[in-house]
Amino acid sequence: MTAIEARALDAAAEHGASVRRPFAWLFAAIVIFLCLVPFLFVIVISFGEKIEGAAWRWAFDATNYRRFFVGADWPATISFLYLQKMWYSLYFAVIAAIVAVLVAFPFAYLITRQSRQAQTLWLIFLLSSLALSEVFIVMGWDILLSNRSGLPMVLRETGVTDWLKAEGYFDTLRAWGLANPRDVRFKTSDFATILTMTYLVFPYAVILLYPGLSRIDPSMVEAARTMGAGPLAVVRTVVLPLVAAPLFGTVLLLFVYLLGVYVAITVFADPAKQTLAVSVYDSVRGATLDAPFGSAQAVILLLTAGGFLGASLWLKQVAERPA
Amino acid sequence: MPDVTLQALRKDFGSITVVEATDLTFRHGELTALLGPSGCGKTTLLRMIAGLEAPSAGRIRIGTRDITDTPAHVRRFGMVFQSFALFPHMCVRDNIAYSLAIDGAPKAQRRARADELLDLVRLGGYGARRVGELSGGQRQRVAIARALAQSPEVFLLDEPMSALDAKLREEMQVELRMLQQRLGITTIVVTHDQREAMTMADSIVVMSKGRAEQVGPPHEIYHRPRTRFVADFIGKANFIDGVIEGGAVRVGPALIRTTPHAAFIDRSPVTIACRPEATELGAADANGPSGANGLPAEIVFVRDLGPVQEVHLRTSAGMVTVEQAGSARSMALAPGERAFVRFPPEAIRVFPRTVEAAA
Repeated sequence: MTAIEARALDAAAEHGASVRRPFAWLFAAIVIFLCLVPFLFVIVISFGEKIEGAAWRWAFDATNYRRFFVGADWPATISFLYLQKMWYSLYFAVIAAIVAVLVAFPFAYLITRQSRQAQTLWLIFLLSSLALSEVFIVMGWDILLSNRSGLPMVLRETGVTDWLKAEGYFDTLRAWGLANPRDVRFKTSDFATILTMTYLVFPYAVILLYPGLSRIDPSMVEAARTMGAGPLAVVRTVVLPLVAAPLFGTVLLLFVYLLGVYVAITVFADPAKQTLAVSVYDSVRGATLDAPFGSAQAVILLLTAGGFLGASLWLKQVAERPA
Repeated sequence: MPDVTLQALRKDFGSITVVEATDLTFRHGELTALLGPSGCGKTTLLRMIAGLEAPSAGRIRIGTRDITDTPAHVRRFGMVFQSFALFPHMCVRDNIAYSLAIDGAPKAQRRARADELLDLVRLGGYGARRVGELSGGQRQRVAIARALAQSPEVFLLDEPMSALDAKLREEMQVELRMLQQRLGITTIVVTHDQREAMTMADSIVVMSKGRAEQVGPPHEIYHRPRTRFVADFIGKANFIDGVIEGGAVRVGPALIRTTPHAAFIDRSPVTIACRPEATELGAADANGPSGANGLPAEIVFVRDLGPVQEVHLRTSAGMVTVEQAGSARSMALAPGERAFVRFPPEAIRVFPRTVEAAA
């Protein structure tokens, strides 16, 4: 390349960069406007003051945050009601995320072992299932688990319930909160809540795990087999270590997503085990119309999710650091 | 140790037969090359031997022991894959000791065995390295060491040199052959490179379209190809069409004699094959009794390849190539000159022109 050509190329690159620059600014402005500004509003409102019987006014007051951690009547009385809601948010989200990944992992792995055409069909099916709204899915499970027409009815009519009673397993189910004195009962239980939440994120889990699993060189699996590893040993020693990072990332993403689940919790969770997402909605849109307190809860939920993401990234870095 | 025997082994994928019923014996301690072009079924055959592919029909035996239905992880034939398939999440030592770890061997034993094998493949001191830090040749050696760690009955290699550059490939061919001879392990190598097969193998199985076309030692395969395909695939050959006439081959006005006589009935259409280095080049007037058994030709192209000189000639029966080495380059050759190509009777192979079968 001659010097003239090099200069011409530099000039062209410079011209391209100058053309691209306004677009970059525009893009940044849109992102700031759509993401950062609403978030800043939420933060500002969370320090606002609720006017009884009316809306709220601007203020810089930590009352809402204090209420979250120790209750509204502190120091006279102390209440950990909202910390408890936070705990249930984490409890349901962590369990459902892990269960979803545990179920999705073998499923996604089996998909990657199929023919190219079958893989495409499965992925299209999973992607289309994402179109189902949370409300629709919860409605479906509501019917499937309902006492009169759902699974409890099937168990009763097929004699399984009687068998459970005769064998003594029924008492165990009662102890787990999965039966009333007469019948198996799934609704308003941790089981139903986690089942529905798991179902909600299952397609995401498969789609998130699929790229990592499909990138595994099939000859690595075969090499392990020729060296004496049975199917389970192959998964344990080759497949899982190769997809450890995507697996971890998927659990984390699903967990953060599940922190915000609303409908499934309101329908299936025990009223004493309502989560922060439900509480935020109740505060902002419910009878009290307490936007500042709702915002404070939302900010804390967001910071918690951010904290978990940050801690996970830090842990990942520590794990990957050479010894 | 007994031989590995394939008995009418066949593999179909749907309606397509990839490997036709094949009978083969891999002798103990020998290195056999499965040689053929892409898609000829050689890798499928190797995978069936490894237990990674279930045969559609036929049996695989080690001595009298039938292992057809034995899964790969019980069969445990050491295998080197084309991509080497080293585990990136393990260091070199853990890769090599993988089979021992699966068996639950103590750490000290695994370490000792891995170090022993690293020394064997001349990679001592590389045990703690990550796979990503190794060059192509080093990876291949680790893959070989890993496959040998479990002291397999049979050692399988699927195109083990294809990921290496030409110079390294040559070195590794010699190195692998020496290692195999030292260990005396029954080895089967899949390759599409005839030079690689000739360098390493005690025995070559030339495959085409799912069939074993010819089985034999490299020298025999090269000098006595049984089909036109083998003659064409292994090395270079001049092919000239003709018709049988009293045990010789009539090519236009010339009568080409062969030793022994071509065992075809008269007027059968045949093709004769003669290697370029066996084909002789003479002066244009050499068409006497001693210079017969050839065709007049015109030189169209000459190139010097260092050890040999390659001469391309046009004859009435098509193009012919002659390779002349050392002192044979007596003639001053130039394109356009007239010459005479002679096919020595003992260097000629005759094949039927329509069906590829034994001459």
